[in-house]
Parts: sequence; structure tokens; C-alpha cells
Amino acid sequence: MGENKRLQAGVTRRRFLRDSLWGTCLAGLGVLTGLVVGKHRKTNTLWQIDPYTCIACGNCATYCVLDESAVKCMHAFSVCGYCRICFGFFGPEPVDITEGAENQVCPTGAIKRRFVEDPYYEYTIDEKLCNGCGKCVKGCNTFGNGSLFLQVRHDRCLNCNECSIAAACPSGAWKRVPAERPYLLKPALSEVEGMAAHPPQAEHGTGNHA
Amino acid sequence: MNRRFCTTNAGWLISVVIALAIVAGIFALARLDVTGSKGSGLSEQFVYDVKDLTKIDPNLILYEEIRRGGPISTGFTNARGLAVGPQESIYVAGDKAIRSFSESGQMLAEIDLTDTPRCLTAANDGKIYIGMKDHVEVYVCPDPRESGGRNGQRKRLASWQSLGDNAVLTSIAVSKNDVFVADAGNRIILHYDTTGKLINRIGRKDPQRNIPGFVIPSPYFDLAVGRDGLLRVANPGLHRVEAYTFDGDLEFWWGKFSSALEGFCGCCNPVNFALLEDGSFVTCEKGLVRVKIYNPEGAFVGVVAGPEQLVEGGASHICMLPGQCQAGGFDVAVDSGGRVLVLDTMKSTVRVFTRKEIGR
Repeated sequence: MGENKRLQAGVTRRRFLRDSLWGTCLAGLGVLTGLVVGKHRKTNTLWQIDPYTCIACGNCATYCVLDESAVKCMHAFSVCGYCRICFGFFGPEPVDITEGAENQVCPTGAIKRRFVEDPYYEYTIDEKLCNGCGKCVKGCNTFGNGSLFLQVRHDRCLNCNECSIAAACPSGAWKRVPAERPYLLKPALSEVEGMAAHPPQAEHGTGNHA
Repeated sequence: MNRRFCTTNAGWLISVVIALAIVAGIFALARLDVTGSKGSGLSEQFVYDVKDLTKIDPNLILYEEIRRGGPISTGFTNARGLAVGPQESIYVAGDKAIRSFSESGQMLAEIDLTDTPRCLTAANDGKIYIGMKDHVEVYVCPDPRESGGRNGQRKRLASWQSLGDNAVLTSIAVSKNDVFVADAGNRIILHYDTTGKLINRIGRKDPQRNIPGFVIPSPYFDLAVGRDGLLRVANPGLHRVEAYTFDGDLEFWWGKFSSALEGFCGCCNPVNFALLEDGSFVTCEKGLVRVKIYNPEGAFVGVVAGPEQLVEGGASHICMLPGQCQAGGFDVAVDSGGRVLVLDTMKSTVRVFTRKEIGR
């Protein structure tokens, strides 16, 4: 009986050590697999903003871990109406229809306007000045065709695993997208309503452009 | 005894931890800013605010909504155009059909179509001209007594020639033997006879004739024939209404850009308009959804309804999806009694407004 107890105690100790070793090995294997999968996922997906869910709340300008947000305004030329009085460029109550700073909606003057032909103007974004606040996006979505929208610029974005803007996004517009299709662009107006982009004869870029 | 004590304590501890986790979860959910209304921490100059522009002096609102039975529900997912027929029937184009309603909102008849109608008008001779994307189709006004009102394809009289892939028809008007069709895609008015024969094109940019051309940033391009025999056309990119002869000569125009109530706000307005019996205009704007009255000379008279009456919460309409951006403009029509009918394209309902009695 006493011999049996000793044997049982010995077996239990050995089994305990053996099981512990196995457990440690399995846990290590799990961690290793997790790291490999995580690393693989990180390199193959990127953060991006769904322009149709984004409400341009302004969080992108303030929650990014970078001093200058990785979120910038983009302009879909194929959606734009090339309006003379663009409400993505002018404030809701402009004093005058001129490029004066007091008339512009963008507090940093990041939207540039270029005359194309009467009465059409082309609008481009100076990314160095854009802080991703989305004020112009709201103006364009309210009064215009919605050709201005926010996107994560991947030449700046650190692609943090836990993106602080994504965590603060009130509308859940932030999502992971495949690295081979890193931008969520707006379709051309012609795809929506069959209308050609303006102006009819002017030289201008096509598609989305920042 | 000790073991039982430890077990009891562990149970309590787990319960407390779970309770704390639930409380923390509820707290986190309550703090979650799902609308973005708590702000981003940016200063005021980064905030886009048009609330002040939505407020209208109540003394300037000349109309009130007829609330008996509420708005007329069209039953469409995507209502696009509105017209009033010769016998006060209300015609609505949407989805893949045309539906007619009585004044009280009862559905009288329906015409099934093979594609989505964009606009329509009901002529005095009982024909309905329907603008599809690139061509016009002509139907007979359905008789509600026949086949329970569902007349289908067999009442189609004609299908006119396609205007090409770029065509986006947005408005039709009929005047005796003339039919005018607004093509937003090609930025031109097409003048037909009632058989579908093209007579001429109106409004192409021509500095020699002082014609500025139509500026149509989004597919809103409305027209109507006035009692004075002139064609009225909205030129939304220039924020004005222009008057043309049937031969295509620009006679005069009125309208100006302004965020104030007297002008047309936004990049491109008015999106739609209708003519009252006395030649006054009922205009409809997108962005800041406003329905207003101008006299025949284009002077501001008053308001039918503003954003606070027309849009939920009184806010301006903000589009997110391309379809919303392109189809967020309301349509407007008037009947012979001077009532103003507004097609809410977001809710696919027709709201009816009547002039307030003097002294109210």
C-alpha cells in the first residue's frame, strides 16, 4: 500500500512536469502562430475610411497619433460639378465669390481653385495644408455632389494595429481593406446617373485625385 | 470549512468582477459618441454649421400643410417626379412605374414600365409624356375604372428615339402641339412636336445670341411653359430662371445666388419649379431644402415651406450615398386651386400645402 502511494506520488510529479512542458510548448506554438498570422494580416490589410459611412465629424484631425493626421481630403473629379460657387470651397455665407480667405470654408486654405473655362473651376487639395477636419466634405455633401471625401493616405499612415481614430470614429466608418486595394473611392457620376463630368471641353483629370 | 469559505469567497469575487465589467461596459456604451455630436476637440472655425440658415421668419411663411390624413404615401422606394393632371389627378414617377392619386391621396391607377422613369407631365388631351433616361414614352392616362386601374404596357402610344448614352432627361413640358424635354446630360432643351419629331434644340451656348448655355452640375434641370407663351428653364449652375421663345431666343432671366432667403443658395439651385395660375413661380432648392414663391418678374414673395418644415429635425439634407447626392432634390407641382404639392424624394411622399388665410 505504502509502495503504491510512493509510486503514485512519483508518477504524478513526472506527469506534472511532462504536462507542464507540453503545455508550455503548446502555448509557445500558439503565440508564435498568432504572431505570424498577426504580422501577415498587418502587412496585407490597411486602415481606410468608407466615404459613405463617414460623417466628417472632425475626429480624424485630432485623434491620429501623428502630429499631422494621416487622413486627408480627396477629390473625385468624375463626381465633381466644377461649380463656380462650390460649397466645398466657399463657406455657407460667403462675403463675396472670390478666393479671399474670409470666403473660404477651409480654415487652413488647403483647397485650391483654378479657372478652367467660364463658368467652370477645378478644385484640388494641397495635402500639406489639409488636416483632415472634413469641413469641406460636409459642405460638398450638403449642397453639391459629394465629390470631396476623406481617405487615409498610406504614405503617412503607420497602420497601427489599434488605430486611435478608428476607436474614436462615431459612425464606424473605419475599416480594414486589402493592401492591394488601399483606397475606397467614389464612383464616377456617369456610373450613378449617366452624367458626364464637367466641364465638357476642358482638360481635366479623371477619377479620384488628392 | 476553510475550503467552503474560500469557494464562497471566489464565487463572490467572480460575481463582483462580472458586475464591474457589466457596469464598465454600460458606462463605455453610454459614453460612445455615435453621432459625433460631442465634438472632435477642434476649434469653432473647423465646424460646419448651417443651422442659422435653416431658420425662417414665420411671417414669411405664406403656406400651411394640409394635414388631413398626412402626406400621400406613393409606395415607391425611389420617387423621382411629380405632375398634376387635367382633372387634378396627382401623377408620381418612381421605381419602374407611374402612379396616379386622387386629391385625397387614394391611388387611382398605375402604369408599369420596363425601366425607371425620371420625369413626367400630363397633357390636357389625356396623354402622359414620360421621360426615361434617354428617351420619351407616351401613354394614355389610365382609366381607374378599367382593369382595377392597372393598365400595363398596352396603353403605350409611342416610344421616341433615344438621345444617346449621355442623355439624362429630367423634365418635360407640353404646350398644345409642342413638347419640350430637358436633357441634363447634354445640357440642352429638345423641342419636339407631339408626334416626336424634333423641331429644334434650345439653349446651346452662343455668345452671339447672348445665350450663356446651361450649367448643370447635377441632374436637376427643370422647365415649364408659361401662360405668356414663353418657355421657362431653370439654369441651376447660374442660379437663375431663364425665359426662351419656342425658337430658342433668350428673352430675359431672373434670379441670383445668395444664402439669404431672397436668393438661391448652394452650388446649383433651383432644382425644380412650377408655375402658378398668375405666372408666379414656386421654386424648390436642394441642400437647404426650401420651397419659395417668386412673382412673375422674379421678385421674392414668400415661403411655402423651409427646412424646418420639410426635413426631419430642420437640418439641411446631407447626402452620403451617390444616389442621395444625385436624387436629394424635391420636386414641386401646383394644381388649379393654387395648392402646392411637394414630392419628398427621401421619403417618397407627396406633401400638400395651401395658402394661409389672410389675417392668420
